[in-house]
Amino acid sequence: MSFLVQCPQCGHRSVYEFRFGGEVKQRPAPNASEAEWTNYVYTKANEAGVQKEWWFHRSGCRQWFQAVRNTVTNEVQESFFPGDTT
Amino acid sequence: MSCPKDKITLEFNGKPVTARPGDTVASALYRSGQRIFTRSFKYHRRRGLLCLAGKCPNCLMNVDGAPNVRTCITLVRAGMRVTHQNASPSLENDWLSVVQHFDRLMPVGWYYKTMTDPRVWHTAEPFVRKIAGLGTPPSPDAVSGNYEHAYRHSDVAIIGGGPAGLKAAISEAENGRQVTLVDDQPELGGHLRYTKIAEAALPELVAKVQTLPNMQVLNGSYCFGLYEGNLLGIVQPRRDPDDAERLIHLRAGRVVVATGAYESPLLFPNNDLVGVMLSTGVLRLIHLHGIIPGKVAVVIGQSPLVEPVVADLREAGLQIAATVAPKSVVRAIGKKYVTRIETRDARHACDLVVMCGHRIPDAGLLHQAGARLEWNAGKGAFIPTDLPAHVSAVGQVTGESLSAAATLPPVLDPASKRAFVCLCSDVSSQDLANAIDEGFDHIETLKRYTTTTMGPCQGRMCQLPAIGVCARQTNHSMAETGVTTGRPPNPGVTLGALAGARHHPTRRTPMHYEHEAAGAAWLDMGEWKRSRYYQSPMGASEKQCVEQEYRAVRERVGLIDVSTLGKLDLKGRDVGRLLDHVYAGRFSDLRPGRTRYGVICDEAGIMLDDGTVSRLADDHFFVTTTTGNLDFVLQWMNWWLVGTNWDVYITNLTSGLAAVNLAGPNAREVLKPLTDCDLSTAAFPYMACRVAQVAGAEAILMRIGFVGETGWEIHFPAESGPDVWKAVMEAGRKFDIKPFGIEAQRLLRLEKRHIIVGVDSDALTNPFEAGMGWVPKLDKEDFIGRSALARLATQPPKQKLACFIMNEADLPEDGAAIMIGGQLAGRVTSARFSPGQGKAIGLAWVPAETAREGAEVQVRVRGRVARARITEKAFYDPDGARLRM
Repeated sequence: MSFLVQCPQCGHRSVYEFRFGGEVKQRPAPNASEAEWTNYVYTKANEAGVQKEWWFHRSGCRQWFQAVRNTVTNEVQESFFPGDTT
Repeated sequence: MSCPKDKITLEFNGKPVTARPGDTVASALYRSGQRIFTRSFKYHRRRGLLCLAGKCPNCLMNVDGAPNVRTCITLVRAGMRVTHQNASPSLENDWLSVVQHFDRLMPVGWYYKTMTDPRVWHTAEPFVRKIAGLGTPPSPDAVSGNYEHAYRHSDVAIIGGGPAGLKAAISEAENGRQVTLVDDQPELGGHLRYTKIAEAALPELVAKVQTLPNMQVLNGSYCFGLYEGNLLGIVQPRRDPDDAERLIHLRAGRVVVATGAYESPLLFPNNDLVGVMLSTGVLRLIHLHGIIPGKVAVVIGQSPLVEPVVADLREAGLQIAATVAPKSVVRAIGKKYVTRIETRDARHACDLVVMCGHRIPDAGLLHQAGARLEWNAGKGAFIPTDLPAHVSAVGQVTGESLSAAATLPPVLDPASKRAFVCLCSDVSSQDLANAIDEGFDHIETLKRYTTTTMGPCQGRMCQLPAIGVCARQTNHSMAETGVTTGRPPNPGVTLGALAGARHHPTRRTPMHYEHEAAGAAWLDMGEWKRSRYYQSPMGASEKQCVEQEYRAVRERVGLIDVSTLGKLDLKGRDVGRLLDHVYAGRFSDLRPGRTRYGVICDEAGIMLDDGTVSRLADDHFFVTTTTGNLDFVLQWMNWWLVGTNWDVYITNLTSGLAAVNLAGPNAREVLKPLTDCDLSTAAFPYMACRVAQVAGAEAILMRIGFVGETGWEIHFPAESGPDVWKAVMEAGRKFDIKPFGIEAQRLLRLEKRHIIVGVDSDALTNPFEAGMGWVPKLDKEDFIGRSALARLATQPPKQKLACFIMNEADLPEDGAAIMIGGQLAGRVTSARFSPGQGKAIGLAWVPAETAREGAEVQVRVRGRVARARITEKAFYDPDGARLRM
């Protein structure tokens, strides 16, 4: 693995500067069913293709952000801070 | 480099060898009369110079302690120490060469066929290791030289400094781009350095490259991998002994591969004799080093490759005994060196055989990067196609100016045990044919079974002949047979270069040197140095020292450095809300001036970390984490804050604050003169916190009791660390205070049944089984792990963490097995000898039904089974009365 990740703040950096935070998933409501919670905690889409992910710029600005990455080619298509309106 | 003008002396096997400036190690040795450079991997056959380009395994030697150095591309340096490898007693007389006479007993796949019994293998291994192999690695304490990593960036990286690479580099640089040009040879120029081509304008090209300001040239450096994101791994060997061998991580916007084409050997019996060389190798010797490697030569090859070579050799003064077509060669003959070539209709005496072999595009980097190698019959080569974006190729590596030598397929008939396809591991065309007969008839299985293409040359010399043999034996075409997958590193990289500089980052607490002066025995905890215990000047054992520290805390007073704890300062209106969400407990209702124990769980209800949460003011909290989990907790909190707009500001004060824990019956008396804070229980009860001056430093004091005695955890600015430590020790002198280390702390807390998350718990532990069911506040509307914990709360746990005490004087190791009725039933997580109990005590995972007072279990102690008893309560002060005193 040696692809570049685009930090919304610092720009393109080596993937080794980042911590991978997994797929972006919607956390169920507190009273959601056990099946929903089990699915949230244990199941991953494991997409072979484009997915939205969490990344943390550990050796840089130390910010969490989301990136859209193609898991087949490791191309990071875009990245942003969640909540930022663009 | 300091040396007399035209003379450099190096040492070969202990004897001085004179070299000229510009010589490589191999050319200097050749000039001095050395003809045998290596002994082969398996049969110990003599091997001499072949390619002179760093592509073949024939010149590998040990240089200045580093094994397997390609001496033909390593420039000489005064004082270099070179020794041969894999031959005993010498290259000229190697008694192990007797092995080749038993080659019939060593069929292809010999290992797999004979070493099927572990006993046979264990007996045979030492001999096999001695007989087969390459260089020997240096012993760990004799590792010489420095290694370092460098990180570089450029718009364009050009790999290969031949004419195509030079032209591409100049053109890119003239277009204003930052260019890095990488070439593995000592000098730029590629084949122009040793071939006569009319268009050659080499000096101009090289001069131009050297004057361009936006050009960086890494010559004598090799690129071993082209990774995703256009990351190139480049090794820059050391130029002199004080230099570092450098691994350069070069990130390039675009990569232009101009690695050219190299020549590979022809296949005929005894094609590995000393004196059988590639034409490019011979021309390199002549034109780069001024060495004429023989008197009478036989040239094997086909038009149009042969004619220019013959002309060149004649001009150099060599007599050409014959020019023969590859398919007419029967074998080469010679005992030590080649003396004759036998063809179908003649024998030609000679002392040099020049093979005009196939030109193979050096497409390894492109293949690694994802290009496809496609057979092109017209060019007689596998040509790279489908190059990935941002990678391109120029020059002969694209197949340009290659024409199929009429020697294809490069295979003779019948196969011979002495026609070597793979020089690296002595695999012959007969071996390949046999392997195919045995069913390994796919090029990839053939490679793995015979190890062809897996040696130091990584297939450069052998891949095409191997594909040819495979194609012929299986009646497939070259295209159908295909190539094996190319992977980095190629060529090989020293482990030292990959490892880089031997830097071990070390974190020292502000009081480090106080501990050192007090005789600390160190414990490495992550990057931190912590005091395990303090050695006694009287030479007491570790056990005695720990017990003395233990007694000081229990009976008088002790001081421990806890600066390694993670320390987070949280400010803002919504901190309580964040902590309620992240911790399983409740903190929004914590009153200012109070401290509470907290546990962080994940969504599955698993315990991740624990620590204390202190409320200093309405909107100001101070949180501690365990030493190893600071980064995690900080990232975890920040993650949950993303997108919330909550008013929370987190500052990591871990390095900014020092911290100590002062504990023991006399702790209050020790601290009293150092602070203006009222320490009475009425004013400062258990689980309270205050901000006050301690020994002149602004400090946060928390009255908590991990070790089970009245005590204060005091956090203060790191720069005051040594002063506060000294002041406390001084104030404690009349109470005979002792500093205590991790060992005593672990013992003290074990008596109190205080667990250490990550030691007593693991990646599957929830609070209910850890005996901390009171921690999760399930009446909170929502928090991380609530759903899972609510469910776990309704299920009786299968296993529980329980205290045990040994019946006899045994001390189990951490991790020892718990047995019930002879069956494995659990494990010990922590065990220490308790001076208070006179026996070893500990924590262990046991089946839930066993986790009751008085239950009997067995513990495996160094192969023996010892008896132990489960206890439900802490061993020491189970009600915590001492903490409240």
